[in-house]
Amino acid sequence: MARWRSLRFEFTAMASTCSIAIDGTDEARMRRAAAGAIAEVRRIEQKYSRFRDDSIISRINRAAGGMPVDIDAETSSLLDFAGQLWTLSDGLFDITSGVLQQAWDFRQGRLPDAASLQRLVALVGWQHVERDGRQVRLAVPGMALDVGGFGKEYAADRAAAQLQASGIGQALVNLGGDLHALGPEASERGMPAHRPRPWQVDIQHPRLPAGTSSAPLASLSLARGGLATSGDYERFFVRDGRRYCHLLDPRTGWPVSHWQSISVLTASTTAAGALATIAMLKQEDALAWLARQGASYLAVGPDGCLSRDPAAAGA
Amino acid sequence: MNDQPPDDQPPDPAAPITRRASGVLLASLMLPGLAALVPGTATAESAPEKTTIAIQYGTYDDRQPGYDRVSVRAPQWYLQVPVADDWAIAGSWVGDSVSGASPRLHTERSSASRMSDYRKAGDVKVTRYLPRAALSASLAYSDEHDYTSRALGLEARWSTDDNNRTWTIGYGRTLDKIDNTASGLNTAIDQHRRTHELMAGVTQVLTPIDIVQANLTRSMGTGYYNDPYKTFDQRPDHRDAWIGMLRWNHYVSQADAALRSNYRYYTDTFGIRSHTLGVEWAQPLGRWTLTPGARYMTQRAASFYLDPVLDPQGRYDTGATLASAASITGSKSFDPRLGSFGAATLSAKVGYAIAPETAISVKFEQYQQTSGLRLGGSGSPDIAPLHARFLQVGLTHKF
Repeated sequence: MARWRSLRFEFTAMASTCSIAIDGTDEARMRRAAAGAIAEVRRIEQKYSRFRDDSIISRINRAAGGMPVDIDAETSSLLDFAGQLWTLSDGLFDITSGVLQQAWDFRQGRLPDAASLQRLVALVGWQHVERDGRQVRLAVPGMALDVGGFGKEYAADRAAAQLQASGIGQALVNLGGDLHALGPEASERGMPAHRPRPWQVDIQHPRLPAGTSSAPLASLSLARGGLATSGDYERFFVRDGRRYCHLLDPRTGWPVSHWQSISVLTASTTAAGALATIAMLKQEDALAWLARQGASYLAVGPDGCLSRDPAAAGA
Repeated sequence: MNDQPPDDQPPDPAAPITRRASGVLLASLMLPGLAALVPGTATAESAPEKTTIAIQYGTYDDRQPGYDRVSVRAPQWYLQVPVADDWAIAGSWVGDSVSGASPRLHTERSSASRMSDYRKAGDVKVTRYLPRAALSASLAYSDEHDYTSRALGLEARWSTDDNNRTWTIGYGRTLDKIDNTASGLNTAIDQHRRTHELMAGVTQVLTPIDIVQANLTRSMGTGYYNDPYKTFDQRPDHRDAWIGMLRWNHYVSQADAALRSNYRYYTDTFGIRSHTLGVEWAQPLGRWTLTPGARYMTQRAASFYLDPVLDPQGRYDTGATLASAASITGSKSFDPRLGSFGAATLSAKVGYAIAPETAISVKFEQYQQTSGLRLGGSGSPDIAPLHARFLQVGLTHKF
C-alpha cells in the first residue's frame, strides 16, 4: 500500500501566481496529471489571450468591421456562454466592454475626459457581435472581445477536469485566486460512509487592517467545486475621497461602487467568477440576484460588513 | 434489530455544490468538459473508479427480565471492484455465530427454547453503468442449519436530463427452505416459501439543500410461515405486504450538517400494520463525523395473534391460555413479534477519516421494545420488554 502524500506545483500563467495541490498515493501519476493540467492552462492562455497576436481573440478583434472569422467548437461554446451571461445579467456582463479600460489609467489615477469615454462606450455592445454558425464578426470597427472576464476561471475548471480524467480525486487548482477543488462527494455509496477533509481556503481581505499584510477576511471549507472572488481592490485609485475601481458599467463606462468584494461558491469556477463579477456590477441589487441564481456567496458591503447566503459553507 | 430501515440512502445535499444548477451555472456547464466536474450532472450514476474494501465486526446482546441473550457476530466483509470502465462487481460475506434463545412467549412462560447456530450468508451484485442510468443484478444466499434462503434481484435506475430526478424500479425473487430435521423435532421438513417483490421509487432534488425520496414496495409470498419451534403456531400460507418509504435529507448550512429523516409504513395480510419514524443528524467536524440518531416504531398485532388469558387477579393463567389456543382451529400464534408493541432506538455513530481513502467507524445502538411504547395506548398484554444493545466497528479502505 503506497504512502499518502501531498504535492504542490507552482507556476505562473495568465499574469498570475498559480498552484495545483494534489493528495494521493501514486506520485508518478500525480506528477503526470499536474503536468497535463498546467499544459491545459497554458493552452487556454495562448488561445484566448488578447495580448498575443496569434490568439483567436486577436484575430477576431483585428477583423472588427470587416469579414467574419471562422472559429472552432470551443471558441463557439465560449461565445455562447458570453451571450448567455449578457442576457442573464441584463447587459451588465459584456465581453466587448474591455475597450473601456483604455479610458482609465489606474496607475496615474486620472479621470477620463467625457469625449473619449463617449467614443469608447459607442464600441461596447454584445448586440453588435454577429454570430453565424462557426463564424463571428464584430460589426463596429474598433470593437474588441476580451474573455478575461471568465478565461482564467474556465482554465481552472478545465485544469480540474484534466486532473479528474487522470484519476486524481483530491486536488485544489488555484489560478490567481480563482479556485477549483476536487474531492469526493459528501455522501458515497458503500459502507461506512465517510467524509474526507475539505480544502481550507482563505478569502482575501478587501481592506487590509492597518499593520497587517495578509490577514484573511474569512476561511472557507471547499470540499468540491469552484470559488471565485471579485473585488474593488484589484486595480483602483482614490481621488477626492472616492474610490474608482476597474469594474466598469458597460453602459456608462464609469466604475461601479458599493461592494468591497464578493466571493461566490458554486459547482464550476467559471460560473462562480461570472456570478461574482455580475454581482459587483449589480451593486445594490447584487444579493437578491445571487439568491435567484441559487449561489452561495460571501459579500463585503461598503461599510465592511459581511453578508452571506443562508446556504454558505461554514467559515 | 428488525426495525432497521433499509440502508439504500439517497445522497445528502451538500454545499458548496449547488445541486440545482442556476442560470449562470447551467450555462457554464455547457462549456466543453465542465459538466464532468459536477457529480450528478454529467452522469447520473458513475461507475466507481476505485476498489472499496470494508470490514465490520459487531456484537449484539439483548435481554428480557431475568434472561440474557448474547450474540457475537463474526466479521462481515464487503468488496466492490470496478471492472472495465462501466461495470462494478460488489459482494459481501458474513459468518455469524448466534447463540441464545428466540424471544420468549408471554412473560410467564418459563422455558424459552435455546438455540445455537452458525449462519453463513453472502451476496454478489453486478452493476452496468450507462449515461444517466444503471442496471444491477444480484444474487444472495444465506444458510443456517434449519433455514436456507436464495434471492435474485434486478434493479434499474435512470435520471432525467437535469439530473434532479431519479427513477428506480426493482424486482426481487426469494426462495426459502425451512427444514429443521436436524433438531429432531420433525415439525418442519422440506417446507418452502416463495416471495415476489416489486419496487418503484423516485428521488427528487427539491432545492439545492433538500432531497426527497419515495419508494413503494409490493411483496407477495406463499408457503410456510409457521415457527416450527413454537407450540400452537399456525399462520396463513400466504403473506402479501405493502411497504411505503419516505425520506428527506436536508442540509443545514449553519451547522454544515445533514439532517436525514425517514418514515416507513408497513401493512400485510397477517393484519400487521406498523409505522416507523427515524431521524439522524450527520455532523462533520474536520476528520470526524458524529451521527446521533433516534427511531420510533409502533406496530399493530396480526389478526391471529393470541393474547394470554389472565386470571381475575390479572396474572398469567397458563392452563386457560393453552386451552384457549387449543380450541382455535384457524391461524394462531403466540409469537410476540406478531403482537402489538412499540420500540424506540437511540443510536450514535462516530466516524474518523484516517486518510481521505481510509475511514473507521464505531456505531452503538440501544433498542427498547415494550407493549407500553405502542402509539395511542397499550400494546399486547404480557409481552416481556426487550432491551438490546448493538455495537459495531468498521473499517473502509479504497485503493
